[in-house]
Amino acid sequence: MKKLIVALVVIVAAVFWWQRTPLTDSNPYVFAVVDEEGKPTDMKYTVPDDKDILTQENSEQILYGKRLLNETKRLLPDNVGAAMNCNSCHLYQGKLEYGDPYINTYNAFPQFNSRAERVVTIEERINGCFQRSMNGTPLPEQSDEMKAIIAYYKWLAQDVPHGWQVVHQNTGPIDTSLQPNMDKGEEIYGAMCASCHGDNGEGMWDASGNIMFPPLWGDDSFNIGAGMARLYKAAAFVKYNMPMGYTMNRPQGQGHVLTDQEAVDVSYYFTQKPRPDFPAKVYDWPSGKKPKDARY
Amino acid sequence: MKVTKWVTIAALLFVAVLGFSMSMPHWYYPDAQAYQLDMNDPDVLAKGEYAAIAGDCVACHTAPGGQKFSGGLAMETPVGVIYSTNITPDKATGIGSYSYQQFEKAVRQGLRSDNAPLYHAMPYPSYQVVSDEDIQAMYAYFMKVVLPIQKENKDSTIPWPLNMRWPMHLWQMVFAPKRDFAPIADATDAINRGAYLVEGLAHCGACHTPRGIAFQEKSLSADSNNHFLAGAVLEGWYAKSLRSEATGLASWTEEELFDFFTTGRNARTAAFGSMADVIAHSTQHMTAEDRWAMVKYLKQLPPKKGHQVEFPEKTDTTTNKLLAGDYSDTGALEYVEHCAACHRLDGLGAARIFPALDNNSIVFAEDPSSLIQVTLEGARMPNTPHDRMAFAMPGFQHLSDQEVADVLTFIRQGWSNNASKVEVKDVARMRDFVKIRPSHYVLGSEK
Ligand code: HEC
Ligand code: HEC
Ligand code: HEC
Ligand code: HEC
Ligand code: HEC
Repeated sequence: MKKLIVALVVIVAAVFWWQRTPLTDSNPYVFAVVDEEGKPTDMKYTVPDDKDILTQENSEQILYGKRLLNETKRLLPDNVGAAMNCNSCHLYQGKLEYGDPYINTYNAFPQFNSRAERVVTIEERINGCFQRSMNGTPLPEQSDEMKAIIAYYKWLAQDVPHGWQVVHQNTGPIDTSLQPNMDKGEEIYGAMCASCHGDNGEGMWDASGNIMFPPLWGDDSFNIGAGMARLYKAAAFVKYNMPMGYTMNRPQGQGHVLTDQEAVDVSYYFTQKPRPDFPAKVYDWPSGKKPKDARY
Repeated sequence: MKVTKWVTIAALLFVAVLGFSMSMPHWYYPDAQAYQLDMNDPDVLAKGEYAAIAGDCVACHTAPGGQKFSGGLAMETPVGVIYSTNITPDKATGIGSYSYQQFEKAVRQGLRSDNAPLYHAMPYPSYQVVSDEDIQAMYAYFMKVVLPIQKENKDSTIPWPLNMRWPMHLWQMVFAPKRDFAPIADATDAINRGAYLVEGLAHCGACHTPRGIAFQEKSLSADSNNHFLAGAVLEGWYAKSLRSEATGLASWTEEELFDFFTTGRNARTAAFGSMADVIAHSTQHMTAEDRWAMVKYLKQLPPKKGHQVEFPEKTDTTTNKLLAGDYSDTGALEYVEHCAACHRLDGLGAARIFPALDNNSIVFAEDPSSLIQVTLEGARMPNTPHDRMAFAMPGFQHLSDQEVADVLTFIRQGWSNNASKVEVKDVARMRDFVKIRPSHYVLGSEK
């Protein structure tokens, strides 16, 4: 009798256990992978947790790379002119679709660059952002810092083979036929951006010496050579990523509130404001095939 | 022979209890004094509207997306779902045919117009102390100003026999005995006005006071038993201690509290969960004088006996570790990955934008339920005219129970905080709970 009761209890408990809905949602960060020719493969790519870094042989180097990308201004003051970090634009440590992710970076270089009109290496691409987006100076290609940043990208790519690509978008779509309206842009900026980026676009530092809200114009902002200085690139970024901390979108409460037109208006407002020049701009688009929103 | 005798005695006893209980409305509660106000006087109507705001009737009596005061908000209880009722002056489905006496009995004494007792999800144990004047003005407001909406009430899903209401008469006599507002002797007028609001209309104790075995609030006013506003869990939110103790409001200045009631945030924290609703619907619309009165009253509440007044000083070693890239503390790696973009490495956030997690009394509160729920589900600050934007935090359901427990343990013990660990099983329990948690009415969402 006792045994029967015990057995019954165990069965009921087992049924309940089995019926329980799974505790965690499925990971939202899983993508398909294609090979060199763009053909689908059986491979699935899952954006890795940082915990996975600890299982790597060179975990210290990868973590150093991660810190350099997160806290660039504080850690590399000699190379960074703007009050910005790499991850001011490459959101969520470069793991976020539409937020200029680094997911394919390691496997995508060397790559043809339309601005330079030649194939560039990954080091050159990184230094491109140092000189333009960060308004700073290049990192020596053999430095520990450069190697650490690349080690982070390599880890982030996981075991995707070189040349293969994770199927996702670096930036979201935006209607580039839209014409901007400056007054509307100013209005949107005041209502939806200035709380964080400042009434004068000056940004804000946190109490421990890291830049928290990057400036959008002025001496401490990116220079006119940066991709972000171009209207439609900025609008595509803003539409899907800004304001952050405002919606329930994982992982940063980011974007998806402005219409294409509003994103273009507000981006026009801040991209047209004064910002540092980029003297080496004269070497861009050497054969003159400039995009229509280039600033020079 | 013996058996019949016992059955008879039991039956007689039952009938006696039933009779006693059912007769209670007729002798226990006196009728309210006769109606004395002019129901068309604009001042009376304004006063009534104000009392309804202070009482936050709209929060419970409106379903998400529904029309104001038309009821239908689901409230989860351990035995089933009950629904708030239509309190618009619609004659057929609302309270349009309620006499003043009936309205007063419902709001202050928890009796429906047919004398059936109401579930104490309706906070009448607190409303008991509301003044005749406020109740009368509110009656005028509901009858003359509120739009009548035709919408049938929904029956509760509580099964028989638990859905029988008559035993609740006894509950009412024991746990919500009739009482009048008792001003604190020697206290200033402001403190007493605060006591009147906090203990009465604003029913802060309905969420913030711990409950006993019969689900009664252990104390309804600041008496010597020290339970009033000592902290409780409701709908999976921990409404923490509001007493002047370490885990209560000891670390808050009066200005910070005032700012919190006015704008839903201050430089260190922001309201979330059910408190965001309270501020959105109620406290922000009170007069500045009344908000100060509540502050003055709360700040003079003594700590609960045996509770620390202040934490021992602890210096922050966390910030320097994180700045130096030392992520070895449990949960530090997850914190940097998922939280630091907003709450920052120093745990100080950004004033009025992202709450600080260091030295924030909701973070080191005794019970971590609110922290777990806010991390899994995310939250949005109340919107008030003071700030241009109301910020939100997304939910982190995609993290595992272990990761959530680790990151919350990290913030509860990091910087200068010194609170207990969060256990994996607590996270698992909350994850199951939030699935059945009722969603609430948000201002401006009416159809
Ligand atoms: C002002 C914004 C901004 C900042 C700051 C910034 N970047 Fe970029 N970065 C961009 C944009 C925009 C792109 C182009 C993305 C595209 O076209 O898909 C880009 C592209 C890149 C790429 C190429 C990615 C790929 O896979 O094609 C790398 C690598 C990169 N950035 C590294 C960095 C590093 C390292 C830093 C810090 C030193 C940095 N970025 C700072 C805006 C920025
Ligand atoms: C809640 C604060 C907040 C609000 C509001 C906000 N941002 Fe941002 N913004 C940030 C943060 C923080 C970053 C850095 C990236 C990150 O961590 O998400 C950023 C980065 C940016 C960047 C890239 C970095 C740079 O300096 O160029 C642009 C462009 C930008 N924001 C534009 C906007 C615009 C336009 C709006 C209004 C529509 C806006 N932001 C509203 C916080 C905010
Ligand atoms: C915390 C939630 C809550 C708040 C706040 C609240 N009520 Fe209620 N109320 C309820 C619930 C739930 C019921 C239904 C109880 C039941 O069915 O037993 C109810 C019932 C009533 C009834 C009885 C209606 C009927 O159909 O007979 C009246 C009248 C009433 N409330 C008025 C008010 C007024 C006036 C206020 C504001 C001063 C208020 N309530 C605030 C939850 C609330
Ligand atoms: C519907 C339930 C509910 C009611 C009613 C309620 N509270 Fe709260 N309260 C909460 C919850 C849940 C929290 C925790 C979330 C937070 O800190 O915002 C909280 C937090 C607070 C805090 C912030 C504590 C901290 O350390 O962060 C204060 C102060 C407060 N309540 C005061 C009041 C006062 C005064 C009243 C009456 C006017 C009241 N509450 C009514 C649920 C409630
Ligand atoms: C996109 C920015 C953002 C991120 C990322 C974020 N938070 Fe928040 N957090 C907020 C905002 C905004 C609030 C205020 C919400 C409210 O008041 O409703 C908040 C509130 C909180 C609170 C309540 C504190 C208070 O006083 O209101 C806790 C605890 C918290 N967050 C923990 C975390 C943890 C743990 C993580 C990482 C797993 C995290 N947050 C990630 C923006 C963020």
